[in-house]
Amino acid sequence: MSFIGNLILATVRMAMPILFIALGELYSERAGMVNIGLEGLAAIGSLVGFLMCFITGSTWLGILCGALVAVLVNMIYAFATINLCADHTVYGMAMNIFAPALASFIYRVYFGKGSELSQITLMKGIGIPVLKDIPFIGALLFNQTPMVYIAILLVIVTVIFFSKTRAGLNYRAVGENPQAAATLGINVIRTKYIACVLCGALSGIGGAYLTTCYSNTYTEGNIAGRGFIALAAVIFGRWSGVGILIACLFFGFCDALQIRLQVMSIGVPYQFFQMIPYVATVLALTIIGGRKLGPKAAGKPYRKEQR
Amino acid sequence: MAKSGKSLIGFIVPLLSILLAIAIGAVIMACLGANPAVALKSLVTGAFGSKPNIGTTLTKATPLIFTSLCACFAYKCGVFNLGGEGQFIIGSIAACYVTLTTGITGVPAMLIALAAGAVCGGVWGFIPGILKITRGQNEMIISIMFNYIATLLMGVVYTNWLRDGSVPQTQSVPKESQLPRMITGMRMTWGFAIAIALGLIIYYFLYRTSGGFKLRAVGINATAARFNGFPVKRFILLSFVISGAIAGLGGSAELLGTQFRLINGFASGYGFDGVAMALIGQLQPIATILVAIFFAALRAGATTMQAATGVPTSVSDIIQALVIVFTVAGMALTRLSSFEAFLLRHSHKKEGGKSA
Repeated sequence: MSFIGNLILATVRMAMPILFIALGELYSERAGMVNIGLEGLAAIGSLVGFLMCFITGSTWLGILCGALVAVLVNMIYAFATINLCADHTVYGMAMNIFAPALASFIYRVYFGKGSELSQITLMKGIGIPVLKDIPFIGALLFNQTPMVYIAILLVIVTVIFFSKTRAGLNYRAVGENPQAAATLGINVIRTKYIACVLCGALSGIGGAYLTTCYSNTYTEGNIAGRGFIALAAVIFGRWSGVGILIACLFFGFCDALQIRLQVMSIGVPYQFFQMIPYVATVLALTIIGGRKLGPKAAGKPYRKEQR
Repeated sequence: MAKSGKSLIGFIVPLLSILLAIAIGAVIMACLGANPAVALKSLVTGAFGSKPNIGTTLTKATPLIFTSLCACFAYKCGVFNLGGEGQFIIGSIAACYVTLTTGITGVPAMLIALAAGAVCGGVWGFIPGILKITRGQNEMIISIMFNYIATLLMGVVYTNWLRDGSVPQTQSVPKESQLPRMITGMRMTWGFAIAIALGLIIYYFLYRTSGGFKLRAVGINATAARFNGFPVKRFILLSFVISGAIAGLGGSAELLGTQFRLINGFASGYGFDGVAMALIGQLQPIATILVAIFFAALRAGATTMQAATGVPTSVSDIIQALVIVFTVAGMALTRLSSFEAFLLRHSHKKEGGKSA
């Protein structure tokens, strides 16, 4: 396939983990929960996804378990920030330290000190009938792993949920003004917990995607900042589903581009290409500036007595 | 609540968290088939059992003290510098260039390398700082991105620019430019002394000077500080630069004192570790140093423990992670109004009992 074709294919593939994690963060922030522990959640999701897939041979089971364990880990964050009113940023950071430590501990205990790399079989691509036969585009966009279709579907569902449904508006109210939402009979605490379940699950899926759909092995630090890039994607995508999709495709493109350039170039140290996604994130944030467009009560503790 | 009560809680909560985390660690050890008592004993022996062991512990503590002071300083001004690792690495790269390429050796090389490390670390901290105050950016994301950029830049240095033959690492710092040991028979170098001195200076600055007072005021309430006429933005930028310089100095001290060469995995995780230790130490510089030494002891001891009982060293990472999870949650718990009311009721009862 052509250079451009490969690039687009890789762009879609590389955008997916960031997209899942960023959508998780969107659900979190819409309920007023700024969770910067995404990197950690993705790390534990990635490990569990890999491990379950390694044991059972099923990528689906791996992704499911990755999501479940990430939800469980995120419940610690939920309890501390919702019930104990801990600072979101500080606690998110605590999760960023806790979850990867847990992941690497489990990995080391399970695989011991064996030096040989354990590998799994990646999830296979499924072509969508008819659409996949469209020349050029068909092979690129409609012959992907099912996770790609799920992610796109998720974006559509998210957009409809937040803009067209009553439940979505209630959900958003919790992130904008929880006290007012509570007086309208919305269960603020429950909504926040739901947000943390969704955020944990999606971050876990994003992490598990890396081991079950992208690289067939687990290495420490394999999330490589995608949790934080996802945070940037939410800001860059202005808290809208479509915006986040575009932002993630942009970051996916940067990742895809750097891999292509690494392969092509001779003489330039490859690390300079690897810097591209991180530099792009900084530039993207610098261009968009710090206008506060997000949910107004994001990151603020909700205390019932403060009405 | 009274001020003494609050600082008492700030002491009790981390202590309880550490004990709880160690208890869970012991359960994990038991689950792995080791005798927790034996494992914990070998952990303590490994960390403090002999003069060389204490030296190893303090050597491991040195970089952690620097990165935790880095996190502590920025957070005192209300900004979250998560870029300690990148600033640390940039400092070590600068030190590497000074000692390997300028031809200067001995004490002058050490001093220039340390200064260069601090300056370059400060520059690396300046970037997220200036983007924060001019573009209103999320300093956490930016500083983390610069961690990855610094790590990759270090990769270029040890695989290309200063590569030592066929091995992907830089040459070793010449013997005469390495930081000397403080005490014979113990591994820790004067880098440790610099770290402690720095902690004391930061403590003095933050709590005994008007500049430090203003910086903390900005950290507690930026709006109020602005109304008082404090140059809030300048303080935020300054705190980022100094915080970066602290980490950069640490990076050069680590290179000159302990590691001697840049190699894959250098400084990995030090930044976040520093943040954890600063938070557990309640952002008090002196307490932060003690916490850093404690975690260094845990790591130094974990090696002995692994040799003695087969429990993997990563147990120490789990314990550290649990301490931060418990401490932050515990501190939040004590700030809840229902908890304060409970304490108040309890203390009233006591007083009532006395007077009756």
